[in-house]
Amino acid sequence: MNGLVAPDADAITDALRDVIDPELGYNIVDLGLIYALAIEDGRVALTMTMTTPGCPAQDYLLAGVEDRIRQLPGVVDLQVEVVWEPPWTPQRMSPLAKAQFGIPD
Amino acid sequence: MITNRLSRWTPLFFLLALVNFVGAQALVLAGVTWPATSLGAAGTLIAIHLLVIGWLLLLVLGALFQFVPVITTLPLGSQAAALVCLVAVEGGLLGMLAGFLGVAGVAPRLAWLLPAGGGVVTTGISIAIWNLGVPLARARPRSLPGRMVTTGLAFLVATVTLGLLFGSVLAAPAAMPGLAPILGGVGEHALAGLGGWFTLTAMGVSYKLLPMFMLAPEDRGALGRWVHVVGATGFTLAVLAGLAAIWLPIAVIVDLRRAGDLAIGLAVALYLWDVRRIYRDRKRVSIELHNGVAIGAFAFLGVAVALAAIAAAVHRLDAVAPSLVFLIVFGWLGGLGIAQLYKIVPFLAWLVRYGGRLGRGPVPRVQDLVRDGAALPWFIAYQVGVSCAAIAAVMHRPVAFRIAMTPVAIATIGLAVEYWRAWHATYAGTAPNAPPAAAAGPVTKHPSLLINRGDRP
Repeated sequence: MNGLVAPDADAITDALRDVIDPELGYNIVDLGLIYALAIEDGRVALTMTMTTPGCPAQDYLLAGVEDRIRQLPGVVDLQVEVVWEPPWTPQRMSPLAKAQFGIPD
Repeated sequence: MITNRLSRWTPLFFLLALVNFVGAQALVLAGVTWPATSLGAAGTLIAIHLLVIGWLLLLVLGALFQFVPVITTLPLGSQAAALVCLVAVEGGLLGMLAGFLGVAGVAPRLAWLLPAGGGVVTTGISIAIWNLGVPLARARPRSLPGRMVTTGLAFLVATVTLGLLFGSVLAAPAAMPGLAPILGGVGEHALAGLGGWFTLTAMGVSYKLLPMFMLAPEDRGALGRWVHVVGATGFTLAVLAGLAAIWLPIAVIVDLRRAGDLAIGLAVALYLWDVRRIYRDRKRVSIELHNGVAIGAFAFLGVAVALAAIAAAVHRLDAVAPSLVFLIVFGWLGGLGIAQLYKIVPFLAWLVRYGGRLGRGPVPRVQDLVRDGAALPWFIAYQVGVSCAAIAAVMHRPVAFRIAMTPVAIATIGLAVEYWRAWHATYAGTAPNAPPAAAAGPVTKHPSLLINRGDRP
Protein backbone atom coordinates (compact mmCIF):
# COMPACT_ATOMS: atom_id res chain seq x y z
CA MET A 1 0.00 0.00 0.00
CA ASN A 2 1.11 3.58 -0.52
CA GLY A 3 -0.52 4.80 2.67
CA LEU A 4 -3.58 6.15 0.94
CA VAL A 5 -7.04 4.66 1.29
CA ALA A 6 -7.79 2.52 -1.76
CA PRO A 7 -10.83 3.57 -3.79
CA ASP A 8 -13.88 1.38 -3.65
CA ALA A 9 -15.87 0.09 -6.62
CA ASP A 10 -18.21 3.05 -6.59
CA ALA A 11 -15.34 5.52 -6.72
CA ILE A 12 -13.75 3.70 -9.66
CA THR A 13 -17.06 3.39 -11.48
CA ASP A 14 -17.74 7.07 -11.00
CA ALA A 15 -14.29 7.93 -12.32
CA LEU A 16 -14.79 5.75 -15.39
CA ARG A 17 -17.90 7.76 -16.24
CA ASP A 18 -15.41 10.42 -17.37
CA VAL A 19 -14.30 8.08 -20.18
CA ILE A 20 -16.58 8.13 -23.21
CA ASP A 21 -16.95 5.97 -26.26
CA PRO A 22 -16.25 8.71 -28.80
CA GLU A 23 -18.57 7.40 -31.50
CA LEU A 24 -21.58 6.86 -29.29
CA GLY A 25 -20.67 9.90 -27.23
CA TYR A 26 -21.58 8.28 -23.94
CA ASN A 27 -19.63 7.07 -20.94
CA ILE A 28 -18.36 3.51 -21.00
CA VAL A 29 -19.92 2.58 -17.65
CA ASP A 30 -23.50 3.32 -18.67
CA LEU A 31 -22.86 1.80 -22.09
CA GLY A 32 -22.21 -1.48 -20.25
CA LEU A 33 -18.63 -1.92 -21.46
CA ILE A 34 -17.33 -2.68 -17.95
CA TYR A 35 -17.92 -6.37 -17.29
CA ALA A 36 -16.17 -6.91 -13.94
CA LEU A 37 -14.26 -4.95 -11.35
CA ALA A 38 -12.27 -6.35 -8.44
CA ILE A 39 -10.29 -4.37 -5.85
CA GLU A 40 -7.99 -5.73 -3.21
CA ASP A 41 -5.55 -3.63 -1.22
CA GLY A 42 -5.39 -1.00 -3.91
CA ARG A 43 -4.88 -3.54 -6.68
CA VAL A 44 -7.55 -3.10 -9.33
CA ALA A 45 -8.52 -5.76 -11.87
CA LEU A 46 -10.93 -4.62 -14.55
CA THR A 47 -12.57 -6.66 -17.28
CA MET A 48 -14.14 -4.74 -20.13
CA THR A 49 -15.15 -5.01 -23.75
CA MET A 50 -15.66 -2.76 -26.77
CA THR A 51 -18.79 -2.12 -28.79
CA THR A 52 -17.26 -4.05 -31.69
CA PRO A 53 -14.08 -6.10 -32.20
CA GLY A 54 -11.45 -4.19 -34.10
CA CYS A 55 -12.80 -0.83 -32.93
CA PRO A 56 -10.26 1.80 -34.08
CA ALA A 57 -10.62 3.60 -30.75
CA GLN A 58 -9.74 0.55 -28.68
CA ASP A 59 -6.17 1.54 -27.83
CA TYR A 60 -7.29 5.02 -26.83
CA LEU A 61 -10.14 3.69 -24.71
CA LEU A 62 -7.82 1.31 -22.90
CA ALA A 63 -5.28 4.05 -22.27
CA GLY A 64 -8.06 6.37 -21.14
CA VAL A 65 -9.38 3.82 -18.65
CA GLU A 66 -5.91 3.19 -17.26
CA ASP A 67 -5.12 6.88 -16.97
CA ARG A 68 -8.39 7.68 -15.25
CA ILE A 69 -8.08 4.89 -12.69
CA ARG A 70 -4.42 5.61 -11.95
CA GLN A 71 -5.40 9.19 -11.13
CA LEU A 72 -7.34 7.88 -8.13
CA PRO A 73 -5.40 7.98 -4.86
CA GLY A 74 -4.67 4.60 -3.35
CA VAL A 75 -4.43 2.62 -6.59
CA VAL A 76 -1.17 0.67 -6.47
CA ASP A 77 -1.68 -1.69 -9.39
CA LEU A 78 -4.03 -1.98 -12.32
CA GLN A 79 -4.78 -4.85 -14.69
CA VAL A 80 -7.21 -4.25 -17.55
CA GLU A 81 -8.38 -7.17 -19.64
CA VAL A 82 -10.42 -6.81 -22.82
CA VAL A 83 -12.75 -9.70 -23.54
CA TRP A 84 -15.11 -10.46 -26.42
CA GLU A 85 -17.31 -13.02 -24.70
CA PRO A 86 -20.03 -12.37 -24.04
CA PRO A 87 -20.24 -9.91 -26.93
CA TRP A 88 -21.49 -6.46 -26.13
CA THR A 89 -25.03 -5.61 -27.18
CA PRO A 90 -27.04 -2.42 -26.65
CA GLN A 91 -29.12 -4.32 -24.09
CA ARG A 92 -26.16 -4.02 -21.73
CA MET A 93 -26.67 -0.27 -21.49
CA SER A 94 -27.99 1.29 -18.30
CA PRO A 95 -31.60 2.54 -18.37
CA LEU A 96 -30.20 6.07 -18.61
CA ALA A 97 -28.12 5.25 -21.67
CA LYS A 98 -30.94 3.31 -23.27
CA ALA A 99 -33.18 6.31 -22.86
CA GLN A 100 -30.53 8.50 -24.50
CA PHE A 101 -30.48 6.27 -27.61
CA GLY A 102 -34.20 5.52 -27.60
CA ILE A 103 -33.71 1.85 -26.82
CA PRO A 104 -36.63 0.19 -24.99
CA ASP A 105 -35.64 -1.07 -21.53
CA MET B 1 -4.92 -10.92 -31.52
CA ILE B 2 -6.86 -7.71 -31.58
CA THR B 3 -4.89 -4.78 -32.85
CA ASN B 4 -6.20 -1.35 -33.52
CA ARG B 5 -4.02 0.74 -35.74
CA LEU B 6 -5.04 3.90 -37.44
CA SER B 7 -4.33 4.11 -41.12
CA ARG B 8 -2.03 7.11 -41.06
CA TRP B 9 -2.31 7.89 -44.78
CA THR B 10 -6.09 7.52 -45.13
CA PRO B 11 -6.82 11.25 -44.69
CA LEU B 12 -4.40 12.03 -47.54
CA PHE B 13 -6.15 9.43 -49.72
CA PHE B 14 -9.44 11.22 -49.02
CA LEU B 15 -7.99 14.66 -49.75
CA LEU B 16 -6.57 13.64 -53.13
CA ALA B 17 -9.74 11.72 -53.96
CA LEU B 18 -11.84 14.83 -53.39
CA VAL B 19 -9.48 16.98 -55.45
CA ASN B 20 -9.77 14.50 -58.32
CA PHE B 21 -13.57 14.38 -57.92
CA VAL B 22 -13.84 18.15 -58.15
CA GLY B 23 -11.46 18.13 -61.13
CA ALA B 24 -13.62 15.63 -63.00
CA GLN B 25 -16.73 17.66 -62.30
CA ALA B 26 -14.99 20.79 -63.56
CA LEU B 27 -14.42 19.00 -66.88
CA VAL B 28 -18.13 18.18 -67.03
CA LEU B 29 -19.13 21.76 -66.25
CA ALA B 30 -16.70 23.05 -68.86
CA GLY B 31 -18.47 20.95 -71.44
CA VAL B 32 -15.43 18.78 -72.10
CA THR B 33 -17.47 15.65 -71.54
CA TRP B 34 -20.85 14.36 -70.55
CA PRO B 35 -22.31 10.85 -70.37
CA ALA B 36 -23.27 10.56 -74.04
CA THR B 37 -19.91 11.76 -75.38
CA SER B 38 -17.93 9.19 -77.37
CA LEU B 39 -15.97 6.92 -75.05
CA GLY B 40 -12.91 7.36 -77.22
CA ALA B 41 -12.83 11.15 -76.82
CA ALA B 42 -9.86 12.35 -74.80
CA GLY B 43 -12.01 14.50 -72.52
CA THR B 44 -14.28 11.57 -71.74
CA LEU B 45 -11.37 9.23 -71.04
CA ILE B 46 -9.73 11.80 -68.79
CA ALA B 47 -12.95 12.50 -66.87
CA ILE B 48 -13.81 8.81 -66.47
CA HIS B 49 -10.37 7.89 -65.17
CA LEU B 50 -10.30 10.90 -62.87
CA LEU B 51 -13.57 9.61 -61.47
CA VAL B 52 -12.89 5.89 -61.20
CA ILE B 53 -9.18 5.96 -60.35
CA GLY B 54 -8.70 9.45 -58.93
CA TRP B 55 -11.91 9.62 -56.94
CA LEU B 56 -13.43 6.19 -56.33
CA LEU B 57 -10.27 4.08 -56.21
CA LEU B 58 -8.43 6.41 -53.84
CA LEU B 59 -11.56 6.84 -51.72
CA VAL B 60 -12.19 3.10 -51.42
CA LEU B 61 -8.54 2.17 -50.88
CA GLY B 62 -8.19 4.87 -48.22
CA ALA B 63 -11.31 3.55 -46.50
CA LEU B 64 -10.17 -0.08 -46.80
CA PHE B 65 -6.76 0.69 -45.30
CA GLN B 66 -8.67 1.96 -42.27
CA PHE B 67 -11.50 -0.55 -42.12
CA VAL B 68 -10.01 -3.89 -43.23
CA PRO B 69 -8.16 -3.98 -39.87
CA VAL B 70 -11.53 -3.32 -38.22
CA ILE B 71 -13.20 -6.08 -40.23
CA THR B 72 -10.42 -8.60 -39.67
CA THR B 73 -9.11 -7.35 -36.29
CA LEU B 74 -5.64 -7.71 -37.82
CA PRO B 75 -3.14 -5.04 -38.93
CA LEU B 76 -2.32 -4.15 -42.52
CA GLY B 77 0.73 -5.66 -44.14
CA SER B 78 2.47 -2.28 -43.89
CA GLN B 79 1.55 1.32 -43.18
CA ALA B 80 4.35 2.58 -45.41
CA ALA B 81 3.04 0.52 -48.32
CA ALA B 82 -0.14 2.56 -48.24
CA LEU B 83 1.86 5.72 -48.98
CA VAL B 84 3.73 4.04 -51.83
CA CYS B 85 0.36 2.91 -53.19
CA LEU B 86 -1.00 6.46 -52.96
CA VAL B 87 1.96 8.00 -54.76
CA ALA B 88 1.91 5.33 -57.47
CA VAL B 89 -1.83 5.54 -58.12
CA GLU B 90 -1.97 9.34 -58.23
CA GLY B 91 1.29 9.67 -60.17
CA GLY B 92 0.37 6.93 -62.60
CA LEU B 93 -3.05 8.47 -63.07
CA LEU B 94 -1.51 11.80 -64.07
CA GLY B 95 0.61 9.92 -66.60
CA MET B 96 -2.46 8.18 -67.97
CA LEU B 97 -4.33 11.47 -68.34
CA ALA B 98 -1.43 12.89 -70.35
CA GLY B 99 -1.35 9.66 -72.34
CA PHE B 100 -5.01 10.04 -73.28
CA LEU B 101 -4.17 13.44 -74.78
CA GLY B 102 -1.46 11.71 -76.76
CA VAL B 103 -3.68 8.91 -78.02
CA ALA B 104 -6.35 11.44 -79.03
CA GLY B 105 -3.82 13.35 -81.13
CA VAL B 106 -3.84 16.45 -78.95
CA ALA B 107 -0.25 15.78 -77.89
CA PRO B 108 0.92 12.68 -79.84
CA ARG B 109 4.33 12.57 -78.20
CA LEU B 110 2.67 11.81 -74.85
CA ALA B 111 0.94 8.62 -76.03
CA TRP B 112 3.58 6.44 -74.38
CA LEU B 113 2.50 7.79 -71.01
CA LEU B 114 -0.78 5.87 -71.26
CA PRO B 115 0.65 2.35 -70.86
CA ALA B 116 3.48 3.69 -68.68
CA GLY B 117 1.07 5.48 -66.36
CA GLY B 118 -1.21 2.46 -66.39
CA GLY B 119 1.77 0.35 -65.33
CA VAL B 120 2.52 2.66 -62.42
CA VAL B 121 -1.14 2.65 -61.34
CA THR B 122 -1.07 -1.14 -61.58
CA THR B 123 1.99 -1.22 -59.35
CA GLY B 124 0.19 0.91 -56.78
CA ILE B 125 -2.88 -1.30 -56.94
CA SER B 126 -0.75 -4.44 -56.60
CA ILE B 127 0.80 -3.00 -53.46
CA ALA B 128 -2.67 -2.20 -52.13
CA ILE B 129 -3.90 -5.72 -52.84
CA TRP B 130 -0.92 -7.20 -50.99
CA ASN B 131 -1.33 -4.76 -48.11
CA LEU B 132 -5.02 -5.56 -47.71
CA GLY B 133 -4.57 -9.22 -48.58
CA VAL B 134 -2.30 -9.87 -45.59
CA PRO B 135 -5.00 -9.34 -42.92
CA LEU B 136 -7.78 -10.68 -45.15
CA ALA B 137 -5.90 -13.94 -45.72
CA ARG B 138 -5.02 -14.39 -42.05
CA ALA B 139 -8.42 -13.57 -40.61
CA ARG B 140 -10.24 -16.45 -38.93
CA PRO B 141 -13.14 -16.83 -39.06
CA ARG B 142 -13.63 -15.00 -42.33
CA SER B 143 -16.50 -12.60 -41.83
CA LEU B 144 -19.01 -11.76 -44.56
CA PRO B 145 -17.60 -8.23 -45.02
CA GLY B 146 -14.09 -9.69 -45.29
CA ARG B 147 -15.16 -12.26 -47.89
CA MET B 148 -16.95 -9.61 -49.94
CA VAL B 149 -13.94 -7.28 -49.88
CA THR B 150 -11.73 -10.19 -50.94
CA THR B 151 -14.05 -10.90 -53.87
CA GLY B 152 -13.98 -7.21 -54.71
CA LEU B 153 -10.18 -7.27 -54.80
CA ALA B 154 -10.27 -10.21 -57.22
CA PHE B 155 -12.45 -8.13 -59.52
CA LEU B 156 -10.01 -5.25 -59.11
CA VAL B 157 -7.31 -7.52 -60.54
CA ALA B 158 -9.59 -8.39 -63.47
CA THR B 159 -10.44 -4.73 -64.06
CA VAL B 160 -6.80 -3.66 -64.05
CA THR B 161 -5.85 -6.49 -66.39
CA LEU B 162 -8.50 -5.45 -68.88
CA GLY B 163 -7.51 -1.80 -68.50
CA LEU B 164 -3.87 -2.61 -69.26
CA LEU B 165 -4.94 -4.51 -72.38
CA PHE B 166 -7.06 -1.56 -73.53
CA GLY B 167 -4.22 0.87 -72.88
CA SER B 168 -1.73 -1.24 -74.81
CA VAL B 169 -4.06 -1.72 -77.78
CA LEU B 170 -4.96 1.97 -77.85
CA ALA B 171 -1.34 3.09 -77.65
CA ALA B 172 -0.03 0.66 -80.29
CA PRO B 173 -2.92 -0.84 -82.27
CA ALA B 174 -0.65 -2.20 -84.99
CA ALA B 175 1.46 -4.16 -82.54
CA MET B 176 -1.41 -6.41 -81.39
CA PRO B 177 -3.95 -6.70 -84.22
CA GLY B 178 -5.35 -9.94 -82.82
CA LEU B 179 -6.26 -8.23 -79.57
CA ALA B 180 -7.93 -5.20 -81.16
CA PRO B 181 -11.48 -6.60 -80.69
CA ILE B 182 -10.95 -6.44 -76.92
CA LEU B 183 -11.79 -2.74 -77.22
CA GLY B 184 -15.37 -3.92 -77.70
CA GLY B 185 -15.29 -5.10 -74.09
CA VAL B 186 -15.46 -1.65 -72.51
CA GLY B 187 -18.82 -2.57 -71.00
CA GLU B 188 -17.33 -5.64 -69.33
CA HIS B 189 -14.39 -3.53 -68.09
CA ALA B 190 -16.88 -1.10 -66.52
CA LEU B 191 -18.95 -3.97 -65.11
CA ALA B 192 -15.91 -5.59 -63.51
CA GLY B 193 -14.75 -2.27 -62.06
CA LEU B 194 -17.96 -0.53 -61.02
CA GLY B 195 -19.77 -3.75 -60.19
CA GLY B 196 -17.44 -6.56 -59.13
CA TRP B 197 -14.87 -4.32 -57.50
CA PHE B 198 -16.49 -1.13 -56.22
CA THR B 199 -20.05 -2.34 -55.61
CA LEU B 200 -19.24 -5.68 -53.96
CA THR B 201 -16.60 -3.95 -51.83
CA ALA B 202 -18.97 -1.15 -50.85
CA MET B 203 -21.60 -3.74 -49.97
CA GLY B 204 -19.11 -5.66 -47.83
CA VAL B 205 -17.88 -2.59 -45.95
CA SER B 206 -21.45 -1.38 -45.47
CA TYR B 207 -22.28 -4.73 -43.86
CA LYS B 208 -19.77 -3.81 -41.13
CA LEU B 209 -20.28 -0.06 -40.83
CA LEU B 210 -24.07 0.25 -41.03
CA PRO B 211 -24.77 -2.15 -38.14
CA MET B 212 -21.81 -0.77 -36.19
CA PHE B 213 -23.00 2.83 -36.35
CA MET B 214 -26.73 2.09 -36.02
CA LEU B 215 -26.38 -0.61 -33.33
CA ALA B 216 -28.06 -3.22 -35.50
CA PRO B 217 -27.28 -6.96 -35.61
CA GLU B 218 -24.04 -7.54 -37.55
CA ASP B 219 -24.81 -11.16 -38.46
CA ARG B 220 -26.61 -10.96 -41.81
CA GLY B 221 -27.42 -14.65 -41.86
CA ALA B 222 -28.28 -16.51 -45.04
CA LEU B 223 -29.50 -13.39 -46.85
CA GLY B 224 -26.10 -11.74 -46.59
CA ARG B 225 -24.38 -14.90 -47.83
CA TRP B 226 -26.74 -15.04 -50.81
CA VAL B 227 -25.98 -11.42 -51.66
CA HIS B 228 -22.30 -12.31 -51.81
CA VAL B 229 -22.60 -15.59 -53.72
CA VAL B 230 -25.22 -14.44 -56.22
CA GLY B 231 -23.47 -11.11 -56.76
CA ALA B 232 -20.03 -12.64 -57.28
CA THR B 233 -21.45 -15.28 -59.60
CA GLY B 234 -23.42 -12.72 -61.56
CA PHE B 235 -20.53 -10.35 -62.13
CA THR B 236 -18.20 -13.23 -63.02
CA LEU B 237 -20.64 -14.67 -65.55
CA ALA B 238 -21.47 -11.30 -67.07
CA VAL B 239 -17.83 -10.25 -67.48
CA LEU B 240 -16.47 -13.57 -68.77
CA ALA B 241 -19.39 -14.34 -71.08
CA GLY B 242 -19.47 -10.75 -72.31
CA LEU B 243 -15.79 -10.91 -73.25
CA ALA B 244 -16.15 -14.35 -74.82
CA ALA B 245 -19.07 -13.11 -76.91
CA ILE B 246 -16.75 -10.58 -78.60
CA TRP B 247 -14.96 -13.42 -80.38
CA LEU B 248 -17.67 -16.09 -80.21
CA PRO B 249 -21.14 -14.52 -80.25
CA ILE B 250 -23.05 -17.80 -80.13
CA ALA B 251 -26.40 -18.19 -78.41
CA VAL B 252 -25.22 -20.09 -75.35
CA ILE B 253 -22.62 -17.46 -74.49
CA VAL B 254 -25.08 -14.62 -75.00
CA ASP B 255 -27.52 -16.47 -72.73
CA LEU B 256 -24.81 -16.86 -70.09
CA ARG B 257 -24.22 -13.13 -70.24
CA ARG B 258 -27.94 -12.54 -69.69
CA ALA B 259 -27.95 -15.00 -66.79
CA GLY B 260 -25.12 -13.03 -65.25
CA ASP B 261 -27.07 -9.78 -65.64
CA LEU B 262 -30.09 -11.37 -63.99
CA ALA B 263 -27.99 -12.63 -61.09
CA ILE B 264 -26.55 -9.13 -60.61
CA GLY B 265 -30.04 -7.66 -60.48
CA LEU B 266 -31.11 -10.31 -57.98
CA ALA B 267 -28.06 -9.73 -55.78
CA VAL B 268 -28.71 -5.97 -55.70
CA ALA B 269 -32.37 -6.55 -54.85
CA LEU B 270 -31.41 -8.92 -52.01
CA TYR B 271 -28.81 -6.45 -50.75
CA LEU B 272 -31.22 -3.53 -50.72
CA TRP B 273 -33.75 -5.68 -48.88
CA ASP B 274 -31.10 -6.59 -46.33
CA VAL B 275 -30.07 -2.95 -45.91
CA ARG B 276 -33.70 -2.16 -45.22
CA ARG B 277 -33.59 -4.82 -42.47
CA ILE B 278 -30.50 -3.18 -40.96
CA TYR B 279 -32.25 0.18 -40.78
CA ARG B 280 -35.43 -1.41 -39.45
CA ASP B 281 -33.66 -3.51 -36.79
CA ARG B 282 -31.37 -0.75 -35.55
CA LYS B 283 -31.32 -0.05 -31.82
CA ARG B 284 -30.20 3.54 -32.24
CA VAL B 285 -33.51 5.26 -32.86
CA SER B 286 -32.25 8.49 -34.42
CA ILE B 287 -30.47 7.98 -37.71
CA GLU B 288 -27.27 10.01 -37.98
CA LEU B 289 -26.97 12.28 -40.99
CA HIS B 290 -24.42 10.14 -42.84
CA ASN B 291 -26.66 7.08 -42.64
CA GLY B 292 -29.73 9.12 -43.53
CA VAL B 293 -28.01 10.48 -46.62
CA ALA B 294 -26.80 6.97 -47.49
CA ILE B 295 -30.44 5.99 -48.05
CA GLY B 296 -30.33 8.21 -51.13
CA ALA B 297 -27.30 6.32 -52.41
CA PHE B 298 -29.08 2.99 -51.93
CA ALA B 299 -32.05 4.43 -53.81
CA PHE B 300 -29.76 5.42 -56.71
CA LEU B 301 -28.45 1.85 -56.83
CA GLY B 302 -31.99 0.51 -56.99
CA VAL B 303 -32.98 3.02 -59.67
CA ALA B 304 -29.92 2.14 -61.76
CA VAL B 305 -30.68 -1.57 -61.68
CA ALA B 306 -34.37 -0.94 -62.43
CA LEU B 307 -33.44 1.33 -65.34
CA ALA B 308 -31.06 -1.31 -66.67
CA ALA B 309 -33.76 -3.96 -66.48
CA ILE B 310 -36.31 -1.80 -68.27
CA ALA B 311 -33.80 -0.74 -70.93
CA ALA B 312 -32.76 -4.35 -71.51
CA ALA B 313 -36.39 -5.39 -71.86
CA VAL B 314 -36.97 -2.82 -74.64
CA HIS B 315 -33.53 -3.42 -76.21
CA ARG B 316 -32.29 0.07 -75.33
CA LEU B 317 -29.50 -0.90 -72.95
CA ASP B 318 -26.73 0.54 -75.11
CA ALA B 319 -28.57 3.86 -75.33
CA VAL B 320 -28.89 4.27 -71.55
CA ALA B 321 -25.55 2.71 -70.62
CA PRO B 322 -23.80 6.10 -70.15
CA SER B 323 -26.65 7.25 -67.90
CA LEU B 324 -26.35 4.03 -65.90
CA VAL B 325 -22.64 4.57 -65.42
CA PHE B 326 -23.39 8.12 -64.27
CA LEU B 327 -26.00 6.90 -61.78
CA ILE B 328 -23.63 4.29 -60.38
CA VAL B 329 -20.59 6.59 -60.18
CA PHE B 330 -22.28 9.73 -58.86
CA GLY B 331 -25.47 8.42 -57.27
CA TRP B 332 -24.57 5.07 -55.73
CA LEU B 333 -20.80 4.92 -55.16
CA GLY B 334 -20.17 8.67 -55.03
CA GLY B 335 -23.28 9.29 -52.93
CA LEU B 336 -22.34 6.57 -50.46
CA GLY B 337 -18.76 7.83 -50.40
CA ILE B 338 -19.53 11.46 -49.56
CA ALA B 339 -22.06 10.31 -46.96
CA GLN B 340 -19.63 8.00 -45.17
CA LEU B 341 -16.82 10.57 -45.30
CA TYR B 342 -19.07 12.72 -43.13
CA LYS B 343 -18.63 10.09 -40.40
CA ILE B 344 -15.17 8.74 -41.11
CA VAL B 345 -13.35 12.09 -41.27
CA PRO B 346 -14.55 13.38 -37.87
CA PHE B 347 -13.96 9.94 -36.37
CA LEU B 348 -10.33 9.95 -37.53
CA ALA B 349 -10.00 13.58 -36.48
CA TRP B 350 -11.29 12.73 -33.02
CA LEU B 351 -8.82 9.88 -32.62
CA VAL B 352 -5.92 12.08 -33.71
CA ARG B 353 -6.87 15.16 -31.70
CA TYR B 354 -8.60 13.84 -28.61
CA GLY B 355 -7.79 10.13 -28.35
CA GLY B 356 -4.71 10.87 -26.27
CA ARG B 357 -6.73 12.98 -23.83
CA LEU B 358 -9.29 10.32 -23.04
CA GLY B 359 -9.29 9.71 -19.31
CA ARG B 360 -7.13 12.80 -18.70
CA GLY B 361 -9.76 15.48 -19.12
CA PRO B 362 -12.96 16.45 -20.88
CA VAL B 363 -13.22 15.65 -24.56
CA PRO B 364 -15.93 16.26 -27.16
CA ARG B 365 -17.85 13.54 -28.93
CA VAL B 366 -17.25 12.62 -32.57
CA GLN B 367 -20.59 14.18 -33.50
CA ASP B 368 -19.45 17.47 -31.96
CA LEU B 369 -16.90 17.82 -34.75
CA VAL B 370 -19.58 18.20 -37.42
CA ARG B 371 -22.58 20.46 -37.83
CA ASP B 372 -25.48 18.72 -39.52
CA GLY B 373 -27.26 21.97 -40.28
CA ALA B 374 -24.32 23.13 -42.38
CA ALA B 375 -23.88 19.85 -44.26
CA LEU B 376 -27.50 18.91 -44.91
CA PRO B 377 -28.14 21.53 -47.63
CA TRP B 378 -25.05 20.32 -49.49
CA PHE B 379 -26.20 16.71 -49.34
CA ILE B 380 -29.64 17.71 -50.61
CA ALA B 381 -28.13 19.78 -53.43
CA TYR B 382 -25.88 16.88 -54.39
CA GLN B 383 -28.64 14.30 -54.54
CA VAL B 384 -31.19 16.55 -56.24
CA GLY B 385 -28.54 17.59 -58.77
CA VAL B 386 -27.55 14.00 -59.50
CA SER B 387 -31.23 13.04 -59.90
CA CYS B 388 -31.86 15.87 -62.39
CA ALA B 389 -28.60 15.20 -64.23
CA ALA B 390 -29.49 11.51 -64.58
CA ILE B 391 -32.87 12.42 -66.06
CA ALA B 392 -31.18 14.86 -68.45
CA ALA B 393 -28.68 12.17 -69.46
CA VAL B 394 -31.43 9.63 -70.17
CA MET B 395 -33.25 12.25 -72.25
CA HIS B 396 -30.04 13.22 -74.08
CA ARG B 397 -30.12 16.84 -72.99
CA PRO B 398 -26.45 17.91 -72.58
CA VAL B 399 -27.18 21.52 -71.62
CA ALA B 400 -29.71 20.48 -68.98
CA PHE B 401 -27.19 17.92 -67.76
CA ARG B 402 -24.53 20.57 -67.24
CA ILE B 403 -26.99 22.86 -65.49
CA ALA B 404 -28.00 20.02 -63.16
CA MET B 405 -24.36 19.22 -62.47
CA THR B 406 -23.65 22.75 -61.25
CA PRO B 407 -25.21 22.23 -57.79
CA VAL B 408 -23.51 18.83 -57.62
CA ALA B 409 -20.09 20.42 -58.05
CA ILE B 410 -20.87 23.25 -55.63
CA ALA B 411 -22.20 20.74 -53.09
CA THR B 412 -19.10 18.60 -53.43
CA ILE B 413 -16.91 21.60 -52.65
CA GLY B 414 -19.24 22.60 -49.80
CA LEU B 415 -19.00 19.12 -48.29
CA ALA B 416 -15.23 19.10 -48.73
CA VAL B 417 -15.15 22.30 -46.67
CA GLU B 418 -17.25 20.58 -43.98
CA TYR B 419 -14.85 17.62 -43.93
CA TRP B 420 -11.98 20.10 -43.60
CA ARG B 421 -13.73 21.80 -40.69
CA ALA B 422 -14.30 18.44 -39.06
CA TRP B 423 -10.64 17.53 -39.48
CA HIS B 424 -9.64 20.81 -37.86
CA ALA B 425 -12.31 20.49 -35.14
CA THR B 426 -13.72 23.89 -36.03
CA TYR B 427 -17.07 23.05 -34.50
CA ALA B 428 -15.76 21.42 -31.31
CA GLY B 429 -17.40 22.92 -28.27
CA THR B 430 -19.96 24.87 -30.30
CA ALA B 431 -22.48 22.09 -30.97
CA PRO B 432 -25.85 22.79 -29.29
CA ASN B 433 -26.01 19.31 -27.75
CA ALA B 434 -22.40 19.11 -26.76
CA PRO B 435 -21.85 18.48 -23.07
CA PRO B 436 -19.96 21.19 -21.15
CA ALA B 437 -16.88 19.01 -21.22
CA ALA B 438 -16.79 19.41 -24.97
CA ALA B 439 -15.44 22.91 -24.58
CA ALA B 440 -11.99 21.47 -24.17
CA GLY B 441 -9.59 22.68 -26.80
CA PRO B 442 -7.81 20.39 -29.21
CA VAL B 443 -4.44 18.98 -28.33
CA THR B 444 -3.00 19.56 -31.77
CA LYS B 445 -3.79 22.89 -33.34
CA HIS B 446 -2.74 22.09 -36.88
CA PRO B 447 -2.30 18.36 -37.40
CA SER B 448 -0.91 17.25 -40.67
CA LEU B 449 -3.03 15.09 -42.95
CA LEU B 450 -1.21 12.02 -41.80
CA ILE B 451 -1.75 10.57 -38.40
CA ASN B 452 1.17 11.00 -36.07
CA ARG B 453 1.96 7.58 -34.69
CA GLY B 454 4.00 9.24 -32.02
CA ASP B 455 0.79 10.24 -30.30
CA ARG B 456 -0.31 8.22 -27.34
CA PRO B 457 -1.03 5.34 -27.16
